[in-house]
Amino acid sequence: MNARVNLNVKKDLLKYGAKDWNECFHCGNCTAICPLTDDNSLFPRRAIRLAQMGLKDKIKENVVPWLCYYCGDCSKTCPRNANPGELMMSLRRYLISLYDWTGISRLVYTSKKFELIAIVVIAIFVMILYINFTVYPAGDPNKWLGEDGGVLINNMAHWRKIHLADLIMAGLLSFFLITNIINMWYHMILKDKTVKVNILDYIKGLYLLPLHFITQKRFSKCDESVKTYWYIHLLLVIGYVTMFTMIVGFLEWFQTDKVHPFWHPQRLFGYIATVFLFLGIIYFYYNRRKKLRENSKYSHHTDWAFLVLLFLTVLTGILMHYFRISGMPKLTYITYLLHLMIAVPMLVIEVPFSKWSHLAYRPFAIYFSYIKNLAYKRK
Amino acid sequence: MNYSDNVGVVFVNEGAENNGFNFNELKEYARKLNKVTSIWDIQEILQKGKKWIISEIKEKNINKLVIAGIEPGFYKTFLANVMLECGNNPEKVYLASFSEYAATTKNDIDKAKTIIACAVYNADYEKIVDFGENSVNTNTLVIGGGIAGIQASLEIAASKNKVYLVEKSGTIGGHMAMFDKTFPTLDCAACILTPKMVEVGQNPYIELMTYSEVLEVNGEPGNYQVKILKKARRVDLAKCIGCGQCAEKCPTRTPSEFDAGTKLRKAIYIPFPQAVPNKYLIDEKVCTYVQTGKCGICVKFCPVPGCINLDEKDKIVEITVGNIIVAIGYKVFDARKIEQYGYGKYPEVITSLELERLINASGPTGGKIARRVQDKKGFWIFSPDEIYEPKSIAIIHCIGSRDENYNKYCSKVCCMYSLKLAHLLKEKLHDSEVTEYYIDMRAFGKGYEEFYNRIKNEGVNIVRGKAAKVEKIGNDLIVRAEDIENGKIIEQKVDLVVLAVGLEASEDAKKIAQILGISVDENGFFNEFNNISEPVDTHKGGIYVAGLCQGPKDIPDSVAQASAAAARVLQSIAKQKINNRKQNFSISEVEAKIFNA
Repeated sequence: MNARVNLNVKKDLLKYGAKDWNECFHCGNCTAICPLTDDNSLFPRRAIRLAQMGLKDKIKENVVPWLCYYCGDCSKTCPRNANPGELMMSLRRYLISLYDWTGISRLVYTSKKFELIAIVVIAIFVMILYINFTVYPAGDPNKWLGEDGGVLINNMAHWRKIHLADLIMAGLLSFFLITNIINMWYHMILKDKTVKVNILDYIKGLYLLPLHFITQKRFSKCDESVKTYWYIHLLLVIGYVTMFTMIVGFLEWFQTDKVHPFWHPQRLFGYIATVFLFLGIIYFYYNRRKKLRENSKYSHHTDWAFLVLLFLTVLTGILMHYFRISGMPKLTYITYLLHLMIAVPMLVIEVPFSKWSHLAYRPFAIYFSYIKNLAYKRK
Repeated sequence: MNYSDNVGVVFVNEGAENNGFNFNELKEYARKLNKVTSIWDIQEILQKGKKWIISEIKEKNINKLVIAGIEPGFYKTFLANVMLECGNNPEKVYLASFSEYAATTKNDIDKAKTIIACAVYNADYEKIVDFGENSVNTNTLVIGGGIAGIQASLEIAASKNKVYLVEKSGTIGGHMAMFDKTFPTLDCAACILTPKMVEVGQNPYIELMTYSEVLEVNGEPGNYQVKILKKARRVDLAKCIGCGQCAEKCPTRTPSEFDAGTKLRKAIYIPFPQAVPNKYLIDEKVCTYVQTGKCGICVKFCPVPGCINLDEKDKIVEITVGNIIVAIGYKVFDARKIEQYGYGKYPEVITSLELERLINASGPTGGKIARRVQDKKGFWIFSPDEIYEPKSIAIIHCIGSRDENYNKYCSKVCCMYSLKLAHLLKEKLHDSEVTEYYIDMRAFGKGYEEFYNRIKNEGVNIVRGKAAKVEKIGNDLIVRAEDIENGKIIEQKVDLVVLAVGLEASEDAKKIAQILGISVDENGFFNEFNNISEPVDTHKGGIYVAGLCQGPKDIPDSVAQASAAAARVLQSIAKQKINNRKQNFSISEVEAKIFNA
C-alpha cells in the first residue's frame, strides 16, 4: 500500500489546536490507559504516529478520532506531556474540514476572522428577510394583543413563513451534512480495498445510528468523573433535540397566539428544554473557563463561538417568550429578530461545517467501524 | 592590553532556557564594562541579516567581537566573516563559552560574568580564577558507606592514608547489600560486597563512624574542619558480643530498612547478619524506653554488664581532613505517587527492591514469593505463612523514570535489573510466565545486550509497550498494555506485579550540598565539575563525588567512579598541593585580578 508523506500536516494540525504531539516517544501508555480501546481500535498512539509522519491520506481514512470521547486520562498520564487527547480533538476538527468538500469548514477552523464575518453576513441576510416578510407592530398597541393579554405573534411573523424558511434551511444543512457523510463513507469504507463490506453488514449495524445519536453510550464508558460530564452532555442533547423538533417540526403548535397555561406541554417542554440547555452551557463554560478538566484545558476559537452562540440563542428565545406572554409586541418583535439573527448563523456554520457536525460524524463513525469489523471477522 | 579596542558582545542564548540562566543580568553586566560599546542578540543579527550587522559594526567602529553563551562556537565562523567584510581583523572574534568552564546553571552567574570579562579584556580565565594552591592534610573524609564509599575508602587506605568513613545508618553496605544477584554476570552481590565490608572494618587506616552524620564543614581545600554528629547507639561497640539476647526480648517492632520494609525488626537490632560493625544498636524513634522512659528489658537480659546504656547521649566529634569524597547514594522512587499501578492498594503489587529482598535466600521468606499481609499491629509485611506460587508475573519498567510528571531522566539500571529479576523468577518458579513491559530496552553496557538476549531465550515474554494500569476486576489482577509490535491490547491476568522503580537523589543530598558548599542539579544529584574531563571533581577544590549521588549508574560504574575519586585524593596527597578551587568567588575579587593582569 502506498503512503504519501504530507509535510503540511504538522502546520495544519497546529492551526486546528494540536499541542506537542511530536514529543511522543511511543510508549503505548495512552492506548493502554484508554477505557475505550480494544484490539480493533487502537488509539491514540497510532493516530499520533500518523500525524507525526504526515500521512494525510491515512488520517482521512481513519475512524479512530471519532471513537475517542476525550476523558483525558491519556494526557494526564502521558510520560512526555505530549497531549494525546488534544491531538485526537484536533484530528476531529481536521477530519471535519477534510470531509467537507466546500472548503468552508477549513476556513471556519483556521480563521477567526472568517467565522466572525460569516456569522455577521448570515445575520444581516436573516435580518433583511425578516424585515421584508414580517410586519412591525406599529399604531395602537392593543391591536396586537389577544384576549388573554398575549402578543398576537402570528400577525407580525406568521408561522407559515417562518416554517417555510426553517424547512429551506434544514434542507440545505442536511444536504451539506449528508454529502459530507458520503465523503467520509467513501474514504473509510469504499477506498479501503483490504475489506469488502456487504449489504447485510450495513443492515446489521443500522441500529447503532439512532442508539449512539440519542444516548452517546460510549461516552459513559469513560471513567467515573466523566459520568457527570456525560449526563450533562446528555441533558444538553435532549434539550436541543426537543427544541429543534418543536420549532422545525411543529411550529404551528409551538408558535401560538394563545397563551397556554403553564402546565401545557407547549410551555412545559419548552421550559424543561431551556433549563437543560442553560445547565449544559453553564457547565461547559465553567469547565472551559477554569480549565478544570483535561478536555477543557485547551479551547479552540470554534469551541467558544459555539458556546456563546448557543447561549445567546437560548437567552433571546426565552426573552421573546417572556415578552410575548406579557403582552409587549414591540419587544417581542425585536427579540424574535435577534433570536433568528443568532440561531440561524449558528446552525448554518456549526451544523455542517464546524463543531456541531459531530452529532452526525460520531454515530456514523461508530457504525462504519462496526460494519468494517464485521467484514474483517468474516475474512 | 589594548585599550583602544571597541568591543561588541553578541549573546547566544540557545540551550539556556531550561536551566534558568539569566541572560538579562549578563547583558547588564556586559554593558557596564568600559570597552563594550554594543550588545546584540544573535537572534536579532540573524533576523536583520548580515548587511545590517556589517553597517552596525562600521558605524560604531567596533574592532573586536565577543560571542557569549553556553555554546557560542557555532557562530564564530559567521561572525569572523562579518568582521572580514567590515575590513577588520577576523581573528578578533573571541568566545566567552560558559560550558567550557562549566558555568551552565543559574548558580554560575558570577562565573559567567567573569568569563565575559576575561574575553573582553583578553585575560586568561584559568589564570584569573586560579586562587593558588593549598597544602594538603593527608586525612580524607568519605561520606556514605555504600559500595562507592567502601571502594573509595579501601583505595585510599591501601596507600596508608587515614580515612574517616561516615555512615548514616548502623552498618555500611548500602543498597548493594540488599541485592540478591548482580547483572549481567549473576554473581552473588553479597559475595562481592561482604569481604570488602569486613576489610573496611578491619583496616587500621579506616576509622569507621557508623550511625553518624556530617554536621558542619569549614575551612578551605586541603584543610577542612568537619564536625560529625555521632548519634547515640546506646550499645557499647567495644563490649557488645552480638549474642542477640536483647533483640529477642525487645517488645517493640518496626519495619526493617534493610529488608525494604518487607519484614519487621526490633527496636534494638543489627541491620543484617553480615553488618559491619556486627554490633547492635537502638532505634531511638521506636524504643519504648527512649520514648516513654519505661522498659529496659534489653538491659536486664544483656549478658555483658554495662554494654547497653539507654541514657547515652549524642556526641559531636571534630576532625580535620584534606579531601572529602561524597558518596551518599540514592533512594528509590515512591511508587505510591503513581496511583494507576495500585501500589499500596493491591497486596500483589510490589516494587523491584521488595522483590529483591523476597527472592533473596536470606530474605524474609527464604527466597519464596509471599503475599503482603497486614499484621495485628497494622504493619504490611511479607510473612512466610503467606507464601504462594505466582503463575503469571508482570514486570513494568520505567516507574517514575523517563516521565515528565515525575522524573524526566532515565534511571539507567531498571531495564537490566528487571531482566535479572525475570531470570531469578524463572529460575525459582519454572512454570510461571514472566512478562516485561518496556518502553525502550536500554542494555547499554559490556555484556548487557548479550544478557538481554539470554533472558529472551529463557522464555521471558518481552512486550514493547508501557503498561498503563493495574486493576482488580473481580478477584483478578489485570495489567493493561498496548503490544506495539503486534498491534493489540494486552489484558494480562497476573498474580504478581513488579514495579521497576527508578532512582532518585537521596533526601540528604540538598542538606549535604549546603554543608559542603557544592551544588546539585535540578534533579537533586550533585553537579560534577566537568562531565567529560573531570567527572568526579566538584566546583569546590578537595571535594569529590562518587556513585549514585552524582547520577544514576550501575554498580560497576559506581565502583569505577569511587576509584577515580580516590585517585584524585591520592594525587593531591602525593603532590602535597591542592587546587584552591572555589565554588563562589566574588566578582570584585576577580575583576581586580583582571585589571591588574
